[in-house]
Amino acid sequence: MKAFKPGLVHVPVTPFKTDQSVDYDLYAKVLEFHLRNGADALALPMQQGEDVSLTDAELRKLLEFALKHVNGRVPVIAHVSDPGTAIAVSRARHAEQAGAAAIASHPPYFWHPKPAMVAEHLVQIGSATRLPFFICTPVVEDAGTRLTAEIVLDVLKRLDNPAGLVDASMRFVFMVETISLGREIRPDFQLLAGTDFMVPNAVVGGSGAFSPLSSVAPKLARQIYEHCSKQEFMQARKLQEDMAELHHLVKKGGRAGLKTAMRAMGRACGEPRLPGLSLGEPEMGQLAARVSACPYLSTEPRGW
Amino acid sequence: MSTVLTEAPAAHPAANRPFVLKGVMQAPVTPLHDDFSVDYDGLAKMVDFHVRNGAPAIAWPHHKAESPNLTMEERKLGAEVLVKTVARRVPVSIFVGSLSEEDSLDLARHAQKIDADMLLTISPYCRRPTQEEIFHSIVRIGSHTELPVLTYNSPWRNGEGVEFTSELVARLIERLPNYIGMKDASFHSEKFMEISRVALRMRPGFSIIMGLEHLLASYPLGACGSFSSCGAIAPNLCNRLFAALVANDWETARTCQYKITKLYRLFKDQYPSSLKGAMISMGRPAGPIRGPLPTATKERVEFLCRQLEALDVINTEPHGW
Repeated sequence: MKAFKPGLVHVPVTPFKTDQSVDYDLYAKVLEFHLRNGADALALPMQQGEDVSLTDAELRKLLEFALKHVNGRVPVIAHVSDPGTAIAVSRARHAEQAGAAAIASHPPYFWHPKPAMVAEHLVQIGSATRLPFFICTPVVEDAGTRLTAEIVLDVLKRLDNPAGLVDASMRFVFMVETISLGREIRPDFQLLAGTDFMVPNAVVGGSGAFSPLSSVAPKLARQIYEHCSKQEFMQARKLQEDMAELHHLVKKGGRAGLKTAMRAMGRACGEPRLPGLSLGEPEMGQLAARVSACPYLSTEPRGW
Repeated sequence: MSTVLTEAPAAHPAANRPFVLKGVMQAPVTPLHDDFSVDYDGLAKMVDFHVRNGAPAIAWPHHKAESPNLTMEERKLGAEVLVKTVARRVPVSIFVGSLSEEDSLDLARHAQKIDADMLLTISPYCRRPTQEEIFHSIVRIGSHTELPVLTYNSPWRNGEGVEFTSELVARLIERLPNYIGMKDASFHSEKFMEISRVALRMRPGFSIIMGLEHLLASYPLGACGSFSSCGAIAPNLCNRLFAALVANDWETARTCQYKITKLYRLFKDQYPSSLKGAMISMGRPAGPIRGPLPTATKERVEFLCRQLEALDVINTEPHGW
C-alpha cells in the first residue's frame, strides 16, 4: 500500500444549535473555512468535534455530510473510536463505504483493558477496512489504557494498513520509542502531532499534524508546519511559543475554550453540546479579550 | 564561601554565575563495595572518567546514584570526594533532595561549605505536596544558601510527584535571585514548553536540563542539555548527540537519540540496577545495588553485554577507566 501522507490536517469543531441538534448549515461554513485556510486534509469528528457527545447515527451522518460537502477537494479522515470493538469496527466499515480516505481510532475509553486487549481492539478496527489506519493516543490517558510503544509495535506487526501514530500524549519517550522502533517494522510508518506542538514531534522524526488550533490560527499552524517540513526547528521556536501560549489560553477555558476563542475571531459556532457547559459571561469575556490581545493573531483571518 | 560567590557576590548570583550549563552533563552512579559500603575511591575514578570523557558538568547523587539509600554522612563525604576530584575542571552540582527538609538544609549548608558550584533540590517529595508547599520549601532551601539553585521537576502521574508548573516557576524566579534552572523530568512537550516560555522570558539564561537524554524533542524548545542516564556506558554517543544538536544536524541527532533510547530501554527496568550491570561489560564495574533494588544477576549482565554488542557500543565507546 502506498503511504498516505496527510500533511497538515485540520480538525473541525461540530457546531450545535440551541436545541442541541447539529447545525449542518454552520458546519458547512466551518468546513469551507478550513478548506480555504490551508487544510491539506480534514479529520472528523475528533475530540474537538465533540465525537463522544454524538450518537452513532449522528457520527455517520456527519461524516457523510462532510464527504459530500468536501467533494474530494482534500482527503477526509474518519474518526471511528468507540469503547465497544464491534461498534468501532462497524463505524470503520461505514467510513470506507462512504468514501473516507483513512480511518483513525484510539484505544477504548472507559474500560481498563490489558495491553493485549487494546492491541486486539485496534487490530480488529484496522483490519475491518483496506483504508490507511491512524492509531491515536487517547486524549484523556487515564480514562482507559495508556497507549504504549509495545502496543503500537504489536499492532504494526499484525496489520498491513497502519499509516501512522497521531500523538496527543506529547510524551517525548513514547514518541521516540514509537517512531524509531516502529520504522524498523514499517519503514513508511509516520508520527503525526495530535496537538499543535509540532516542533518536538517533527524533530524526533515525525511529519504532519492534526491541528486543533487551526480553527483559531490557521496561518500560524501553517507557518510552523512549513518550518518543520524544512527541518527548520530553531527558526520555528518563537512561532511554537506563540502557539503554546494560545494552547494554554484555550485550555484554560475547558471544553468551551476552543469555541470561545473561535467566537473571538469572528467565527461563532455555538456552545459545546451538553453535558459540556459553556463558560459564564465573565469568563467568556476574559478569554475572548486575552485571545484578541495576542499580537500574533493580528494577521489571522477574522470571520468566515 | 564559594569562590564563585567571592567573585560574584552581587544580589543576583544567578545572572553573574561564571559558568554556563550546556551539554550532556554526567550524573555518576555510586560505586559500592561487595559489602554494600560506599567505594569512595571508585567514586573518584568514576567522576574522573566522566570529566576526561567530555562531561561539561558533574552532578551527584541523583536517584541513579541511589541517593535515597545513602545516609546523610555518606552523601556529604561523597560530595567532598566529588568537589576534590573535579578540582574546578567543570562545575559541580550537589543534589540535596531528601525526605526531610531539615536534611536538605543541612546538605545545602555542606555543599556551600565545600565549594560546590550549585545545588539541585526537590522537596518535599513522597507527600503529594501542593504548589504552595513546594513554593515554601524551595524558598526556604534557596534562601538558606548563596549557591545557585536548580529545582527538580518530577511530575509523576496522578499528582503523586513534585510538579513545578510554569506559574510556580515564575513565582520562584521572582522570589529567588539564585534560582538558575531546572532539571526537567516531565518529558512532555506541553509542560516543558510552558516552563521554557515563561522562565526564559523572565530570566534569560535560565537553564532547563532534561532529566535523562530525552534531549532531541526538547532542544528546539529551549533545553540547554541533560543529566545523563547512560554516560557511564556511552559517553562518546552522549557528546555526539549534543554536538549534532548544536550544529542543527537533525539526522545525526536522531540517529544518536534513537540509539540512546534503545540503551535507556535496557536500563530503565529497576533503574539503575541494569546500568551498573552493563558497566561491567565496559570494564567499569561499580559494584552491587543497595536494597530494595536488586543487583543485576549474572544472566542479566550477560544479556546486557549481548545487547551492547548488538548496538555496537562495546567497540565504539571507551573500555575501562
